[in-house]
Amino acid sequence: MKAAWITTALLALHSLSAARDWTQPTLAERAAEAAGRSPWESAFWIGLGLAGTLAAMTLLGLSLVYAERKIAARFQCRLGPTRVGWRGTLQTLADTFKLISKADLVPRDADRLLFFTAPWLVVSGMLLALVNIPASPLLFVVDLNIGLLFISAVGALSVLGILLGGWASNNKWSLLGSMRAGAQIISYELSLTLSLLVIVLFTGSLSLGEIVQSQQEGWWLWRGHLPAMVAFLVFVIASTAELNRTPFDLAEGESELTAGFHTEYSGLRFALFYLAEFLNMFIAAGLAATLFLGGWMPLHIAGLQTFNRVMDFIPPLVWFGLKTGGLIFVFMWLRWTFPRLRIDQLLKLEWRFLLPLSMVNLLVAALVLLLGVYGKGGPA
Amino acid sequence: MRPSDPFFYLFALLALGLARACVCSQHLLRATLYLAGVLFCGAAFYVILDAEFLAGIQLLVYIGGISVLLIFAIMLTRGPDLLKDRPSPLRRNLALALSLSFMGLCSFLVLRTDWPAALPAEPHENPVRDMGVRLLNPGEGGLLLPFEVISVLLLCVAIAAIYLARPGSGEERPLS
Repeated sequence: MKAAWITTALLALHSLSAARDWTQPTLAERAAEAAGRSPWESAFWIGLGLAGTLAAMTLLGLSLVYAERKIAARFQCRLGPTRVGWRGTLQTLADTFKLISKADLVPRDADRLLFFTAPWLVVSGMLLALVNIPASPLLFVVDLNIGLLFISAVGALSVLGILLGGWASNNKWSLLGSMRAGAQIISYELSLTLSLLVIVLFTGSLSLGEIVQSQQEGWWLWRGHLPAMVAFLVFVIASTAELNRTPFDLAEGESELTAGFHTEYSGLRFALFYLAEFLNMFIAAGLAATLFLGGWMPLHIAGLQTFNRVMDFIPPLVWFGLKTGGLIFVFMWLRWTFPRLRIDQLLKLEWRFLLPLSMVNLLVAALVLLLGVYGKGGPA
Repeated sequence: MRPSDPFFYLFALLALGLARACVCSQHLLRATLYLAGVLFCGAAFYVILDAEFLAGIQLLVYIGGISVLLIFAIMLTRGPDLLKDRPSPLRRNLALALSLSFMGLCSFLVLRTDWPAALPAEPHENPVRDMGVRLLNPGEGGLLLPFEVISVLLLCVAIAAIYLARPGSGEERPLS
């Protein structure tokens, strides 16, 4: 038990320093390994994983909302929040307290059971995906050997939550919003999964840990050449749509549907939907960084020894943060630049353009792998 | 008793309760939610049996596919007033008799069958990889043919969907 505390302290220190050994056990593996020795230590690792995930969720939620408001403001030649805390950094915290203390309204004719369940379904889908994201060799809660499959599978809980929440509100805007969101998420799930499969083909594994390890010699975005680049673009477009963000935000479409599926939600339940939305953006960006940009791996250029050595000194967590942060900025940039699509344009984009493109792309990737042009994990 | 046993009984109880709620609920959409819960418990059983891949597929296909499809179908076809379904006494008794006889048949078969002893648990190095190799193995014990047949079927479905969405198929009408 004492050893567990010391290891935790070392973990905290270690995650900030440059770690050369990239094969560290995940928290779940530590728990499983300790289970035979002492159940308390095992419980400690599980508790650490849970507490860490919840803390990460809170901190990310607060900072992402702040970032979105600041960036949106800059795009619109405003300043954004400036008053609460240093440069308005505590604004989201204040808003969170405001949301929690608000009256909890439930429409009279709402289906109460479904109305109460829906936000929790959305949040649990998000949390189950969040624990799989490898932020650094040491900040990695669980590395499932079906990692990618699991992340796409638990996304289903969010769809269920959105559909039920919109229906249970007993409001035509909510219903329309949730139908649009459902149709959109299900449609874009196809090209999203097909673009993930390209990386699964190259790596030969569904486990996120192994996918990161496979990028030691180079990120898949470069090493995979054209198929990987196309897959990356499709992934970014499809995940913007999955997140219901502009230009695909007609599920919320505030000028036509008030707020879409969460029109009737207030207080804490609204906060949960809002939190899940931002955390899902983090998960999408983190996943894109892990699959295409090498996750926590530093940037290496073959042949430049000194450059690579210097890059190794930057801790893995910082690398992951930079890549994910950059992608989150791209999502926000898209949101504040493009106008909203119409529903038929949105469905046409997926079914007429993205889906055929990603199917052909997957075929090209398979051919490339079969002919042994590049990539690893070919036919065993 | 293994450490996973309490979880098995927890999820078994939950599955039974949810299944009962699903069958007895007069509210179609709630019944769908309960059904999704039962299917989720199924995924939990697969995890307890160390079949994570199957659990992932269970979530993806049954909750992500079937439940969402059911909800869509209910939302598109029925107004909220029609959702409360009141069965007639005849239908009720017939359903009771049918389900009881099915339960009897199932219990009879379960009790009669001589279950082979569980295979010795051989820890797989990488179960997903082993399964993938077996799925694509044309030799003995391989499942290449069924796998390919299903893949071709799914490919046909996807291409058909693209065909339906292509410009000029049928009259062009806005999807909203």
